[in-house]
Amino acid sequence: MRPKAPRTSMTSFALGLGLLILIIQVYLFETVLGSVLDGHRSLLAGAFFASLILTLVALVFAFRARNLDR
Amino acid sequence: MAKWRKAFPVDLADESFISRREFTRFLALVSAGFTAGIGYLWGRKKPLEGAPDPHGVTETAVALGLASELAPGQSKLFTFRDQDDRCILLRTAEGDLKAYRQTCTHLGCAVRFKGGQLECPCHYGYFECGHGFPVQGPPTRPLSGVALEVKADGTLWAVGDLPKPGEAKEA
Ligand code: FES
Repeated sequence: MRPKAPRTSMTSFALGLGLLILIIQVYLFETVLGSVLDGHRSLLAGAFFASLILTLVALVFAFRARNLDR
Repeated sequence: MAKWRKAFPVDLADESFISRREFTRFLALVSAGFTAGIGYLWGRKKPLEGAPDPHGVTETAVALGLASELAPGQSKLFTFRDQDDRCILLRTAEGDLKAYRQTCTHLGCAVRFKGGQLECPCHYGYFECGHGFPVQGPPTRPLSGVALEVKADGTLWAVGDLPKPGEAKEA
């Protein structure tokens, strides 16, 4: 029986998602910082929870995604 | 072979090897750092340097001399909340008195009044005098304005922060 080719699509997906999340985080942080400097603080709660969810997704993928060790 | 090499038999090529999982974990860690940063901003009670106080501190008014002292096109510097809160008072060509914080909203250099505009000499950022909006160069946010009041005896006072342009005045 031929050995199965390693499935790398999941690996690329997890890596891509990690990078994408980081880009969104940078953008989010920059926006939040700008608005705080402008004296608008109403954005902070929403931005924090959005950022938290993104981080949780990134953590889940970083620790649970299979095939990342190949 | 050095003794420590025998004790830690790691190939040099492998020493700097970062697995994909390690890299993805690193990305997640940096992401957590940003979340912590936003959380810090959320929890911080004191306004950031240069930002207006959301709780509206009661300012001590600062006397700026006679309102009639300044001719159109002239400016003068003053400090407001403390010695580091540097501001600039100017009279526009139309005759209006305006005051702004001197801190450029790009990287914080001091702006000056030149040629009917506020100019930041560091990277040649320009702000218009009416509301402090950036009109040229790297700054993207308006200057922080200082509210002025002319008393009955003709003296001019800096009395507080102006709301940012476009922001509804809180009741
Ligand atoms: S600091 Fe003012 S333009 Fe850069």
